[in-house]
Amino acid sequence: MFKLTRLVTLADPARLAPLADELRALARMHEAWRTLVAPTLPGSHFGGDLLAHFVFDSAGQRDAFGTALAPLLAGNAVDGADYQGSPDGKQAPDLANGVYRVLLLSVDDGTDPESVAQFEAETRMMPHYISAIRNWQLSRIEAAIGERRWTHVWEQEYAGAEGLLGPYMLHPYHWARIDRWFDPECPERIVDARLCHSFCALEASIL
Amino acid sequence: MSVARSSSMWPTMTQGERRFIHAIDEIVAKPGEGKALLDDYMARYAPGARERGLHLEQVLVSPPMWLDDQSNTLTFRWSIADTGGWWQMRFVGGNDPAVAAWWTEVDARAVSRRRFFAVEPVDIEGVCDV
Repeated sequence: MFKLTRLVTLADPARLAPLADELRALARMHEAWRTLVAPTLPGSHFGGDLLAHFVFDSAGQRDAFGTALAPLLAGNAVDGADYQGSPDGKQAPDLANGVYRVLLLSVDDGTDPESVAQFEAETRMMPHYISAIRNWQLSRIEAAIGERRWTHVWEQEYAGAEGLLGPYMLHPYHWARIDRWFDPECPERIVDARLCHSFCALEASIL
Repeated sequence: MSVARSSSMWPTMTQGERRFIHAIDEIVAKPGEGKALLDDYMARYAPGARERGLHLEQVLVSPPMWLDDQSNTLTFRWSIADTGGWWQMRFVGGNDPAVAAWWTEVDARAVSRRRFFAVEPVDIEGVCDV
């Protein structure tokens, strides 16, 4: 699956609904396999006002869509990523009326590959310990735009926002284990402090 | 153990008045640096950590003498009230350039360093029950 995600901070908040309609129409025109365009929910951090996520069958389709998308987003602040998502885990393929969450992160240039691999492996184990994560994917990014050279996208789906804001944040596998890759006070830190944490309502699973 | 929402933005798991989360810094100083590093930690790092809600419970020096040609290991054990306090510490410290600069300096004066978080065995079941 060839994926494209954009977190759009609108210059004019009144443009949210019209822009969302324009993005959905463009996605239909480009035959996106899956589309999620929704306002972000309170608690997002550098997550934009509008979360837009599209899945295509080929890299060519995705890239053509990205080219057509850029003029629609001009004038707004945008963080985003193009990547090839590979299914990591799907505990709830029929998940409906849930929450989709995306984290864009940037691993430091020059980080040794073994550390990156360990960070990725440990992150992929989060759903093993935190059952509120129903579906998930961790992907390396092929092309990034925005405030950082984003290297990874960590996507999850939950039955509701309480799964993200409760168990995900409270479980010790998160704060006492995974977070050391992010914490400037820990010697293992490899991830830049600037993150995009964004989530929105989800009608049906897209991972 | 109860899970509650604090009045702040931080998710919170409380356990009465016990400060049940421990943050442990273990620093192996470069040979001859142990005493100076301990003094700097207490004078320059500890006050800010206290302001971020950490309570210094214990400081240990190993071996129990100051070495001038070998390394001393310094261990600092802090307590944190709950997960809400942990996230508050993490957010404030993690966004303070002075804290990051402090640890960069420490790493230049240390052979190795670890920071890890722990609870007593009796608290494991509760802390995982989220």
